[in-house]
Amino acid sequence: MNLERIPNEEKLSLCRKYYLGGFAFLPFLWLVNVVWFFKEAFVKPAYTEQPQIKTYVKRSALGLLLWVAVLTTWISIFQHFRAQWGEVADYISFTIPLGTP
Amino acid sequence: MEAAFFTRSTMVKMKNSSRVAGVAVIKSNTGPTEGFSPHTSCPNQNTGVYTEHYGPELANCNNTVWNPLGNGLSYEDFAFPIFSLKDDNQTQVIRKCYEDHNMRMNGSAPQYPLCAMQLFSHMHAVTDTVTCMRRTDLQNSFSINPEKLCDPLSDFNVWTSIRPLNNSIKGHKENESVVIAAARLDGRSFFWDIAPSAEGTVSSIVTLLAAAQALYPVALEAPPQRNIFFTFFQGEAFDYIGSSRMVYDMENSKFVIDLDNVHSLLEIGQIGLRNGQSLWMHSDPVSRKNTTVNKQVTLFIKSVASSLNLSLNEPSATQALPPSSFQRFLRVRPVPGLVLADHQASFTNRYYESLYDTATYLNVTYPSDLSPEQQLEYETEAAKSLTQVATLVARSIYKQAGGEDRFLNNITADTKTVTLFFSGFNIFVLKMCTNMCAPSSSAESSPPQYYIGLRLDNTVKSVTRFVQFILANMTGTVTKLNQSQCQNPKDVPGESKDLYSYSWVSGPVSVNGTTDPYCVRSSVHLSKALSPAFELTDYGSREYSTWTESRWKTIRARIFLVASPQLEMMTLGVGVAVLLVSLVVTYFISSKAELLFSATREPPNTTY
Repeated sequence: MNLERIPNEEKLSLCRKYYLGGFAFLPFLWLVNVVWFFKEAFVKPAYTEQPQIKTYVKRSALGLLLWVAVLTTWISIFQHFRAQWGEVADYISFTIPLGTP
Repeated sequence: MEAAFFTRSTMVKMKNSSRVAGVAVIKSNTGPTEGFSPHTSCPNQNTGVYTEHYGPELANCNNTVWNPLGNGLSYEDFAFPIFSLKDDNQTQVIRKCYEDHNMRMNGSAPQYPLCAMQLFSHMHAVTDTVTCMRRTDLQNSFSINPEKLCDPLSDFNVWTSIRPLNNSIKGHKENESVVIAAARLDGRSFFWDIAPSAEGTVSSIVTLLAAAQALYPVALEAPPQRNIFFTFFQGEAFDYIGSSRMVYDMENSKFVIDLDNVHSLLEIGQIGLRNGQSLWMHSDPVSRKNTTVNKQVTLFIKSVASSLNLSLNEPSATQALPPSSFQRFLRVRPVPGLVLADHQASFTNRYYESLYDTATYLNVTYPSDLSPEQQLEYETEAAKSLTQVATLVARSIYKQAGGEDRFLNNITADTKTVTLFFSGFNIFVLKMCTNMCAPSSSAESSPPQYYIGLRLDNTVKSVTRFVQFILANMTGTVTKLNQSQCQNPKDVPGESKDLYSYSWVSGPVSVNGTTDPYCVRSSVHLSKALSPAFELTDYGSREYSTWTESRWKTIRARIFLVASPQLEMMTLGVGVAVLLVSLVVTYFISSKAELLFSATREPPNTTY
């Protein structure tokens, strides 16, 4: 979808939809929001809806950073300690590799 | 590496080194003269009868070390594959590859290309039985395509009774007192599915079979007071799988008799290396502290000693019982019993549970001018020695069961039969199969191996089948039933599926290749030999065996020549360079396309 051809109100409503959607445990929507509307929010010359789009983009970026931090921490801990946790780790794993502890 | 290097010190060094990726051992026919046993020095020490509560001074081999040559190699955890290779033409290719490329020349390092070997032996299971069984259970419950990680070791015990018992009614049988004659049916070594086990297992199987054959006609003619059971326990090398299962079934009324029915037990241990010396009768000193038990055991010893003019001795009164299936019975009930063996204290077997425990070790040698068929029938010293023990066992069992003395002299084991069995179970079973095999099994021409293995689809191991059918042939009767009646004798008068088992046997192959099958009725049965730990799903059990075998991906190996890293880098570099050059050339050509391809074009229709 080419953002050039859409009127500004629709750009704002699209940005809002993606921002609100990301709260449903969907951080990728926030990532898309940040990447797609970055030019609109910070590079283009000012227009009426731009401050609101800017807020949405900033908040999406914040949420995204939070998610990245949480997931990185959990994934590192799990990958490192899965072997030592024994039974608990097996019960929360979806696939367990064969042939390694 | 050659077989001479396969020792504990070398293997431990390799285990601790980070530079070893795999080991391939070239087998040799004879072991090192000082002996080699990869088993532990105190076999089955945690599942025997001696614990802190029962005979603590005898527990953990404090009193006698049974297997002093044991180096425990089979119980070490190696992180790399270890293969064993037969010493034949392919192994010679490996040796030649090493000599041509990898040997040091004049003290300098060998040059590339070098000979390399890749061993594939990916195992699914890790850590221990508890982990792999838990993961298998998880896979079975939650996955669409379950991936099995490991399976418990299991097979079947073979048992038969002189007087048939109703097999459909399990539990205690009234007025039934049974004397059990037992032997083990399995062995192991360091490598998977290699277990020639000549001294450890074959000698006892052959002796018990010969004893059964000697005893049956007399017992039918002049039945003794008590019933007699001949049992072959499978899986004894792995913490007594078969005997612990049978005792468990007896305790829980899932077996045809109950422990109250068991009067006494005579077990045949390792007897192949007797060499004309005396036979030792081992008993358990702790249970003999009780006067009644002591009296019964002493009587038993007396009846064994008086059966045959063979040199018999008892070891010292405070010596423990050697590792044997009898220990599992003692764990539950102080049954009076004896274990016959050719060793007084430690084993005389220098290759206990190793790949060198073969017929050659038992000095089974034939004069060189005999053909294989003649070799089968040649009576070796070892066979003669086993015949004597078989006669002893048969007579003592008969006497212990209350048989009368005047019939004792009619019980004699036949040397010819023992020789046939001995060659068959040790060297090859080819000849035996033509006479008494189930129709579906095939003849094998290599020595049978006694590792218990797995029963993935409830089939029976071939050696167990052989023992079952040989026993059925010797102790059963031929009936006139046809094939469908044989498979289902419910409606035939006089035949009972509860008391007997019926097998449809193909019979001997006649000269023009046809067979004349018939139905054999016998009281030989198979009982499942799966550790009770798996029935109780207590995978971390300390009471019962919890041995499992991992599943694996295809096991293979290959050798090839490896180029030097410089050559590999150069090839990669050249490839990348070609890629870049082609990119640059394509860019130039496409940007200057008008200049390059601007030659005058001819109109398409100028052919006139």
